[in-house]
Amino acid sequence: MMDSITYKAGFMTAAAFGLFLGASFGSTVVSAQEMPEGFKKGDLAPPPSAEMIEAGKRVYFTKCVWCHGVDGAGDGPGADRLWPRPRNFNQGTFKIRHTASGELPLFDAKKPTDGQNDLFETVTHGLPGSAMPPWEGILTEEQRLQVLSFVTTELVKDREFTDKESETQTVLNLGALNPKEATEESIKRGAELVVEKKCVECHGMEGRGDGNAFNLKDDWGFSIQPADWHKCWNFRGSRQDPYNVRNIFRTFSTGVNGTPMPSFADNTTVDERWDIANFVNSLCERDSLGNPLPIDPLTDKPKINFVIPSDPVEGEIPTDIEAEAWAKAPKRIVAMGGQITHKPRNFVNRIDDIWVRSLYNEQHIVYLLEWDDRTKSVAEGRLPWEPTEVNIDVKEQDPKTGEEGSIASHQNNYTVYNDAIAIQTAVKWKELPAPIKPRYLFGTNEQFPVDIVKWEADGSLRAFLGTGWDKDFEERDNYEEDMKLLSAEWKNGRWYVMIQRPVGNNKDQDYDEDTFFEVGQYIPTVFFAWDGHNGDAGRKMAVSAFYYTFMNPPVPQETYIYPVVIAVGVVLLEGWVLTRRANKKKGKML
Amino acid sequence: MKALMSLSALIGVAGLLLLGGMVLDIVPSTTIRLVEGYMPMQLLLEMGCFVLGFAGLSYILNAMGMAIPRFWQGIGFWVFFLLYLKYRVYPPIPFSVRAMYGTVSLVAVFMWVSANEEDWQKFKQPIMNVLDAQTGMNKLLRYAYLVLLPILIGGFSFNAMMPKSEEPIELRTVHPAPPASTKVHGKTYTLQTSQNPYRVNTEGKYDQEYTNANIVEQGMGRLMKPNANPWDETNQGYLKYVREGGEIFFQNCHFCHGDNLNGRGLHAFAFNPIPANFTDPGTIAQLQETFIFWRVAKGGIGLPNEGFPWASVMPPWEQHLTVDEIWKVILFEYWHTGYYPRTWD
Repeated sequence: MMDSITYKAGFMTAAAFGLFLGASFGSTVVSAQEMPEGFKKGDLAPPPSAEMIEAGKRVYFTKCVWCHGVDGAGDGPGADRLWPRPRNFNQGTFKIRHTASGELPLFDAKKPTDGQNDLFETVTHGLPGSAMPPWEGILTEEQRLQVLSFVTTELVKDREFTDKESETQTVLNLGALNPKEATEESIKRGAELVVEKKCVECHGMEGRGDGNAFNLKDDWGFSIQPADWHKCWNFRGSRQDPYNVRNIFRTFSTGVNGTPMPSFADNTTVDERWDIANFVNSLCERDSLGNPLPIDPLTDKPKINFVIPSDPVEGEIPTDIEAEAWAKAPKRIVAMGGQITHKPRNFVNRIDDIWVRSLYNEQHIVYLLEWDDRTKSVAEGRLPWEPTEVNIDVKEQDPKTGEEGSIASHQNNYTVYNDAIAIQTAVKWKELPAPIKPRYLFGTNEQFPVDIVKWEADGSLRAFLGTGWDKDFEERDNYEEDMKLLSAEWKNGRWYVMIQRPVGNNKDQDYDEDTFFEVGQYIPTVFFAWDGHNGDAGRKMAVSAFYYTFMNPPVPQETYIYPVVIAVGVVLLEGWVLTRRANKKKGKML
Repeated sequence: MKALMSLSALIGVAGLLLLGGMVLDIVPSTTIRLVEGYMPMQLLLEMGCFVLGFAGLSYILNAMGMAIPRFWQGIGFWVFFLLYLKYRVYPPIPFSVRAMYGTVSLVAVFMWVSANEEDWQKFKQPIMNVLDAQTGMNKLLRYAYLVLLPILIGGFSFNAMMPKSEEPIELRTVHPAPPASTKVHGKTYTLQTSQNPYRVNTEGKYDQEYTNANIVEQGMGRLMKPNANPWDETNQGYLKYVREGGEIFFQNCHFCHGDNLNGRGLHAFAFNPIPANFTDPGTIAQLQETFIFWRVAKGGIGLPNEGFPWASVMPPWEQHLTVDEIWKVILFEYWHTGYYPRTWD
């Protein structure tokens, strides 16, 4: 019964729409379009009360104004250094919705129900991958509804949330749709459909967002990039539940307003959409057993283990990524932030994680580094400074948005330098007296320097000595021959780089410049990464925290002997207790 | 009495179900949120509820004639405590610390079951029964233990001896002792006597009372006072500088310290430990403004040895900001979190 009513209502609107089309084109009447599958007609919500709006203003000017600006035009003081930029509310264009493409999102100041209040969910869960944090636990439910009442009535200027004349609501009926099981068959069909529906044109052959990344602009003319399907925790619509296929289904069904991402509601069936959603979901990084990565509730990103284990290998370390030893080697995610400590600062870092594996044998340790980078960058322009130089004169304050040279105008428009990656390890890490540690960026001083191995996309592999954040690097010219680039390949939006370096030994080497990699010890390790198309060069880069390289020792013999000895001991002990008890009882009985 | 006990029994069962759900990963461990700053009190309160719940539960079961033997009560409570530590407390406690708590609680359980002779007899009765093996069931149990114990203990020691690569624990001093004075942009500031030059009333005079009256309200949301909007164009003095400080904060600091100053900024997830949370009563609320001035100006590099310099990427902001800008940012941080800076007197 319900269904037939919604169907009827849908038919009526569709018919009206068809008539309108027919009239405006003055040609043959388009065959009556139906409501897209899975959608139903919705009603506009009643306007929020004046008290709600007034209370919301107070919330807005305490929390939101700093990025979204006084008039809600997305131009607050924080906006110039943010990318993606804060939302401009004025046009009423909102990305994550249950409503059809181009329509206003669902918002009802009296109904904070999941799935029926898009804006409320956005404020509650934030927009991962952007600077918008989840406000749950900070603002009360009431306060979140108040601030949205203010935004939708006072700051959305070009449209009216209650205007029945011009606004419609065609709502994705997600609650009534059951996800299709993610069978191999469904995923396979999804993989075919993303090619057929041309998703890969923007999102890339492997879905790393490396399609035509340079031609895309949002409604305001700012450069934007397609999503990387392998990092579902960065999906704006992931609602703090990144591995939930429903979120992908919703975004795919309704599109992302204000961006080139269209709605696929009209040219796919619900069944096809589930297949595609299942496929996209299957691409998101998982652990070695195929389970979703654990998400840290403090950061809404994958949980991080700061130890990078390196497994021992007999003989040569394989250079083929597909080799069994590499497949077995534990893989760790290394989170990357922008280097904003020293000039030039990198507020917009495009590389936000690296996957690291490592193997070692008697002479060498090899790092296999993989990271998503939408563009392969090999220097076109000459660096304005030497790569060893850190003390360079740069203008600190970037021009404001709209002016020449601002961060916004630079997006996808930088002079291209080399993509690069570097591994920094502490020299003399064993001699560091307890509280003193090498400085995070480029070491402390001459006494406690760091050893930096840097690969660049032009194929070079070089070694440097860092003696402090404010000292130019020293290039260690005699060390290059000891290292080897085992492989470096950029494929479909991802770099695969394998770097080999000596582990060293204690006998015939001194370690003034070089890190000695000792088995079974925690060796402080930092990673740096540069995206050449982001203008990254020198200290403008992405950095990780301090990790530890830990070379897993081969299992010693004792590990097998002692437990057996202990077990035998326990058996003897048991015998003793039992005899003692038996004797005691006997004594009592007698 | 009975009603009271039933109620607490109900609490006990509900709590156990919740914890069980968290252990089995059915209920996310964030279901009942741990509020920052109040966490220790919250956990103690929860423990209290559980103890109350267990008392009620055992009373009810007793009344129904299904009393749990003392032996199992002791073991049950200890297991419950271990599970609670592992699955409820967030952020997770390292194993070594849990082992310590586990040992202490084991001793406590022993003291409880051996409080008087009668209880102790009751407690050890099941153990003796198995040792004596007078019934068939006990005999079976005894042989099972004979075989299982050596295997289990051997297995555990094997596990313990396998080389592992767990994160080493590093302790650090969160608020190291500040120096007596600090030199920023060529001028020396004595920490004991310096004042924030922007903590002024509308007439431009230093006025702690006026500025403290205009910070955001404590309580959920920490919203500004209704008549103290820093974005009001007509502002003079304190609120005008708060806004200027906010502009600097949202161009420089929020990347790490977050839009709500809670240390969860855009880049925060990459760092270890994650950046300082100013809304926590343990950070700026405990410190003098001049301490913050010193930390902001000198950054991670300027930390003394006990501050473990290597864990901090806090920029020495004197490289990027003027002295005035630093003072304004500090002003904003106190305004936005609703805390008063500590004073020397």
